[in-house]
Amino acid sequence: MIFGGSGDLAQRKLIPALYNLALQRLLPATFSIVGTARKPLSHEEYREELHKAVAQYSRTRPLNEEVWRSFAEHLHFVTTSDDAGYEELRRTLEQLDFALGTHANRLFYLATPPPAYKAIVEAIGEHRLRGDTGWARIVVEKPFGHDRASALELNEIVHTVFREDEVFRIDHYLGKETVQNILVMRFSNGIFEPIWNRQYVDHVQITVAETIGVGERAGYYEQAGAMRDIVQNHLLQLLALVSMEPPAAFDDKAVRDEKVKVMRALRRIAGEDLSMNAVRGQYTRGFIEGTPVPGYREEPGVAADSRTDTYVALKLWVDNWRWEGIPFYVRTGKRLPKQSTEIAIQFRAAPHQLFSRDALAGLEPNALVLRIQPDEGISLRFGAKVPVQGIRIRAVNMDFDYGASFMVDAPDAYETLILDALRGDATLFTRHDEVDQQWAFVDPIIKGWASSDSAEGPALYEAGTWGPTEADALIERDGRKWRKA
Amino acid sequence: MAEGVVIDTTFWGTRQSGVAALERELTRLRRAQSAHARELGRPIARASVLNLIVYADREEHARRAARSIADLALRHPSRAIVVLADRGARDGTQKRIEMHCRLPIADGARLVCYEQILVRARGDADDRLASAVIPLLVPDLPVFLWWTGTPPLGSRSFGDLLRLTDRLVVDSADFARPEVTLPVIARISDEARGRFGLTDLNWTRLTPWREIATAFFDVPAWRLFLDGVTGVSVGFAVDMDGRDIHPSQALLFVGWLASRLGWRPLEALAPSEAGGLLFAIARPDGARIMVRVRPRFERGLDEGDVSGIRIKATAARQLAEFAVKRQPDPRHQTATVLLDGERRWERTMPLPSPAIVELIGEELSILGSDRTYEAALGALVELA
Ligand SMILES: NC(=O)c1ccc[n+]([C@@H]2O[C@H](COP(=O)([O-])OP(=O)(O)OC[C@H]3O[C@@H](n4cnc5c(N)ncnc54)[C@H](OP(=O)(O)O)[C@@H]3O)[C@@H](O)[C@H]2O)c1
Repeated sequence: MIFGGSGDLAQRKLIPALYNLALQRLLPATFSIVGTARKPLSHEEYREELHKAVAQYSRTRPLNEEVWRSFAEHLHFVTTSDDAGYEELRRTLEQLDFALGTHANRLFYLATPPPAYKAIVEAIGEHRLRGDTGWARIVVEKPFGHDRASALELNEIVHTVFREDEVFRIDHYLGKETVQNILVMRFSNGIFEPIWNRQYVDHVQITVAETIGVGERAGYYEQAGAMRDIVQNHLLQLLALVSMEPPAAFDDKAVRDEKVKVMRALRRIAGEDLSMNAVRGQYTRGFIEGTPVPGYREEPGVAADSRTDTYVALKLWVDNWRWEGIPFYVRTGKRLPKQSTEIAIQFRAAPHQLFSRDALAGLEPNALVLRIQPDEGISLRFGAKVPVQGIRIRAVNMDFDYGASFMVDAPDAYETLILDALRGDATLFTRHDEVDQQWAFVDPIIKGWASSDSAEGPALYEAGTWGPTEADALIERDGRKWRKA
Repeated sequence: MAEGVVIDTTFWGTRQSGVAALERELTRLRRAQSAHARELGRPIARASVLNLIVYADREEHARRAARSIADLALRHPSRAIVVLADRGARDGTQKRIEMHCRLPIADGARLVCYEQILVRARGDADDRLASAVIPLLVPDLPVFLWWTGTPPLGSRSFGDLLRLTDRLVVDSADFARPEVTLPVIARISDEARGRFGLTDLNWTRLTPWREIATAFFDVPAWRLFLDGVTGVSVGFAVDMDGRDIHPSQALLFVGWLASRLGWRPLEALAPSEAGGLLFAIARPDGARIMVRVRPRFERGLDEGDVSGIRIKATAARQLAEFAVKRQPDPRHQTATVLLDGERRWERTMPLPSPAIVELIGEELSILGSDRTYEAALGALVELA
């Protein structure tokens, strides 16, 4: 059941993911996909539209027409513009159950704009869409609320129809292979965990850089900004995964308990700390890959005096034994020079240098970089001798290229997550207390920025550069530098 | 409408629609190469150790530079980003940036991962060039910028690229007007306060001359002459028409001596009647040293290359002359020491005349700044 089954997300991500699962024979033998929206569509029109979408967006190409034909037989569309529509939806689901002999196992997917969530969840309850025999689960797209209070409210609404263990709040970053690899790398290898702490780590940098601008999402983005769009969810998730304690087991409870713990230990930034630890920016016109692009305020749908943040840099502290005194520098932005998501663990310099200053001119401290996208992989930087007479030391990278090693393309995050939701595994979904802690961290910063005494607004940066100079100052004050990502 | 040169895709690789497509293509090529290597039972790693940005404004210069880098791939596996600012296509051409990429295999037996990217700017793309280069840099690796020709000092693209750079490599032998450009480069490097290292291939060419000059004074009996230098003469090659060229290599040699020995400028450089330059500088004890920089026609030498040096000095009431001359072949040099006119020592040794590729290769192994060069350049600038 996809609410908002005709929307952008459904067309670009959900249906292509389901099609690819079908292609890999990972879907159950009997299943149906029912899309709904307010605007009427016939089953045929709906299939036609999705056929085009899958041909365009599927990660596997070209489209396998045979697989598509049998897949498309399972696609249905129901218009839910009023109560009668929801009644028809119930009948459709019952007929499908009857025809296929499925036990009313139902996965509901909320892929509409968030303001519609409340009415839809209520309708699921009122029209008894859960069915009587099988399981029911609900996937809720991000953003989950727009602050702590609204997240709590949304939660209460969802809980009127679903138990917490039936709620799957999605953050598609967690579905990425390389993000899961963070845990695998940390906890299945003996060599990393002993040095994954304040004794050996100097600091950590997390970068989520996009080259795209706000595009057609200005309506949403003007209300959200980078803080809500990226920091509250993706960035804090990455932070949690690198900084959390080892869970006792790789199951939904143990993993999420540890993530919540580390989110609780994240020091809040508010009041006077704000200007020293947080920088927000907004892009002006510039160039991306040699092509001119407009400034944020010139984008369609953006206010001419908008103060929305399209860039955020933060200096964070995790107040626990492991990380006491170790700063985490995180940044995200739109219209940065390069698309790149990565985590860099910067280790301390060797305690005692045997070699002369000249020999060491090219040496930088060891760094372990986990590249999330694109170019998934891991690289380790270390010092090596340059092959000349005498000693000259240079930092070199040892690269592990995920794609070149396994020679396959990783599945799309949505494939992983939809499959997990179908199997009932919530490990890679966000639990309510986690969302609550994320907002608890993010809210005071947004409030601080909005308050009247921070009248300056975001610092400006030219599109195609690595953000405002204020962000450089944030890290350079501590004698460190942002990585050249 | 001038469309500029046509890009030869067998050399530069196929054109890509953007950075993401280009990276995908390189990944594909790498995978194909490693699959091939596996079949042959040879491992292949992506072992880039540096980013090298090459700036050229003529296709033939870009191509020559790319060949040199390919030859260096074994010693310096790199990602080379060759920027071709196509001046021929300036007028009326729509500003745009095109990218090509290839994995040239320098040597069929050994599979080296050397990635060659061409960033071609059409029209006046000064304002946007860097935005195409930045996303192509391999993270975390040092960035070398090899600027062929004269850096356009006020231009935005030079400033933008320099900001990315750990080490700037220029060749003052190629400067149109070294007397103008060298001081500005010295100032930029000074202001950068060690943020990037600076090197000049013309300085690297001086290495054998500096080595032998140092060797003279390593001999304890001759060391005391260092404080008693009275005259320095440096010859540099010119072609047959004796065209006026700036003796920047010869002057760098004088600048080097001055910076090492604490000599101060006394008067401005003045043209000498016999051609070249004649001027005086002061020793730390105030005595005058006459410096002569003289043009010589020599077959087989590149214009501006040093052809010989002569240092005169007095100490302990002895007159010494230390001379190094290039042999006519010109692959050897002969060093001679005369004391009171009497030949005390003479030796002939090979004089390497390295090609650009070797000079570059040498420079790419150094990352820090070359303080000796910077000091010599500083002294030269003070003289000029
Ligand atoms: N697009 C993405 O890449 C992306 C990425 C991450 C998260 N998300 C999240 O996914 C959700 C959907 O985004 P989207 O980009 O797909 O939006 P969209 O393109 O605007 O699609 C919204 C869909 O919901 C339907 N809809 C709208 N209002 C409704 C209502 N009141 N009741 C029932 N159906 C309604 C729309 O059809 P009708 O107008 O015909 O009803 C349409 O099918 C949002 O929460 C967004 O934050 C999207």
